[in-house]
Amino acid sequence: MKSAITGVGLAVPGDASPADLLEPASAGASAVDPAARLGRKGLRYKDRATQLGLCAADEALRAAGLWDLDLDPGERLTVPGDSVAVVVSSNLGNIDTVCRVAQTIGDEGSRATSPMDTPNASSNILASEVAIRFGLRGPNLMVCNGATSGLDAVHWASTVLRGGRAEYVVVLGVEPDNEVVRQLTDAGRVLDGAAAVVLENPEHARGRGVTVHAEVGRYARTSGMAACADRLSSGDTPHVWFTPEGTGIRPEALAGAVRLDISGRRGLCSGALGVLQCAAAVAWFAQGGEGPVMALAGNDSDDATAGVLLYAGVTGD
Amino acid sequence: MSPRIAGIGAMASVGHGAAEVFENLCAGRGAPNVMRGFDPSWFSADHLFEIDDRPEPGADVPGRATAFLLDVVGQAVADAGLPEQLDDIPVLVGTGLRELRSVELWWREGAKFQADRLHFGTALRERFGAANTHTFANACSASLYALAFGADLIRLDEADTVIVAGVDSVTTSMYGLADRVQPSPPDRVRPFDRNRRGTILGDGAAAVVLRRDTGRHGVLRSVGINCDAHHPTAPDLDGITTAMRRAHELAGVRPRDIDLVLLHGTGTPLNDAVEARAFGEVFGADAGGPLLTGIKSMTGHTSGSAGVLSLIVALRALATGKVPPITAVDDPIDEVAGYRMVLGTAVAEPLSVAQVNGFGFGGVNAVAIVEAAR
Repeated sequence: MKSAITGVGLAVPGDASPADLLEPASAGASAVDPAARLGRKGLRYKDRATQLGLCAADEALRAAGLWDLDLDPGERLTVPGDSVAVVVSSNLGNIDTVCRVAQTIGDEGSRATSPMDTPNASSNILASEVAIRFGLRGPNLMVCNGATSGLDAVHWASTVLRGGRAEYVVVLGVEPDNEVVRQLTDAGRVLDGAAAVVLENPEHARGRGVTVHAEVGRYARTSGMAACADRLSSGDTPHVWFTPEGTGIRPEALAGAVRLDISGRRGLCSGALGVLQCAAAVAWFAQGGEGPVMALAGNDSDDATAGVLLYAGVTGD
Repeated sequence: MSPRIAGIGAMASVGHGAAEVFENLCAGRGAPNVMRGFDPSWFSADHLFEIDDRPEPGADVPGRATAFLLDVVGQAVADAGLPEQLDDIPVLVGTGLRELRSVELWWREGAKFQADRLHFGTALRERFGAANTHTFANACSASLYALAFGADLIRLDEADTVIVAGVDSVTTSMYGLADRVQPSPPDRVRPFDRNRRGTILGDGAAAVVLRRDTGRHGVLRSVGINCDAHHPTAPDLDGITTAMRRAHELAGVRPRDIDLVLLHGTGTPLNDAVEARAFGEVFGADAGGPLLTGIKSMTGHTSGSAGVLSLIVALRALATGKVPPITAVDDPIDEVAGYRMVLGTAVAEPLSVAQVNGFGFGGVNAVAIVEAAR
């Protein structure tokens, strides 16, 4: 069973809409300003990753018709809270907090730390803050799974739907930029952004009359790009290939596919990549592009490659 | 379709291997020790439940959580009679703190550490040839959350065998932040005691092998998962009762069917009061039925690994009819009055269904129901 993408949200420097993801990043794009997008209320003490994640989740939930700003505060979620799950992918989200707190303790002892850092020391802070802000009481999962993490999150979101654990899932990929994560990853720059999609059962989406922007199909996580591409393309030749980050030889199964690097020049996307790729697929289909799209994350030097097939949304009547 | 549990593996400060851990817990052995891998001058408290494997006192090395994980997965795989080459068998790892202790050592002390070791897939691939690996960072309910998804893969026909594990090693940052807010450092973890002063962290790891058809350790009937959406660190009564009810509903059991509850019981003022009230609310007139115990007075709070560690203790209790006690409790809180708390010494009685609670920062709740193997 496929899952339908019914909402997309971005909080990426310079990329106003998913279509921008199909173009090379514009040089010198200004950083995302969460306070400008969400207002200052509720952002205090939240780390950069959480603020970016809230921006993208807010946009995706509104696009899917699940969050309505015209309603009174407290009633803006248009569906029951326990019908909405949250699955977030990030590898680097709270690394800065952990290192800063460890540094403070080593230099001055635990008395010098701030209790405000306690929530941010837990790696699932991003997923729980999204739940708290929007009142989402379904399953709440934080995926920190390396280079493949974003596509893995999409897979677990689909599993939540197929398993009947929720009717909607907000899938979010976030990576913040700061000195600590640059050093840890050897990257010149990290994305400093977030992408979100809302997934639901296609029948369910058609039933409530919303647009299905794209559909998420099969998933695989295997050793190496070639094996992953082979497994996913059996019986369904991909028309487009969204590449993993880093270098890699084009898998034979993708010999005829159009090649697009969504991460290109945006900085290291890491755990955000897979969700950015889903957002980019929505734009690809909106422009009349042919499918399926095969998104791959994790190259041959990573512990595995994950792949997902994406299809144009089937419009209901 | 309920998956069966075909293999188990565990380690914590209280012992190595599921058998030794269970035996020591039943004997009431297990207490915090003077900290070994950290500089005590940084903290008010000076006790932890560490796994004592450092090269020398005060010296810490990166990669300990990863080593614990590989150890318990190896135990569980061997116990299930599977080959060590896992290939496409999914391995789901729940953790609160990933390899963040190694990140701290890298940042503070220049230890060698690379970003691709933050999650556990790299090491699982090297050791077991596993490619379908997943690291979930879901705070203190992480391994039970992983268990829910492992069970779903079998239920949805996407796998016949799934390995679910939990692991954590204590970090400076989490320990220090807890130390910061505790008015006076706890000398022991005293769950459900009127004089409890907070929790003490511990190292720990646990793994189970889920299989569709075979497994001598028991049957996983359900895992209910949800989120409070209420507060980043404080538990919520509504969220916890909902998680328990969901687990019962998915398993098709009523409170009166449950013989044993492994409580989350962290020894913090807030958790224990809320958990006891949630239990009372959900079990109602049947609250006096099941035996209630927990492991953290003897293992410490082993964070993301605590759920599956408790699950393994529940499985051994179902298999042997022996229930390890909560130790270090002198004066139980009013909220547990009338309940069959197992305090001080182990209890023996026949058991067939157990509930296992796990709650985490961010309001992530997971409750599992397991049944004895027949």
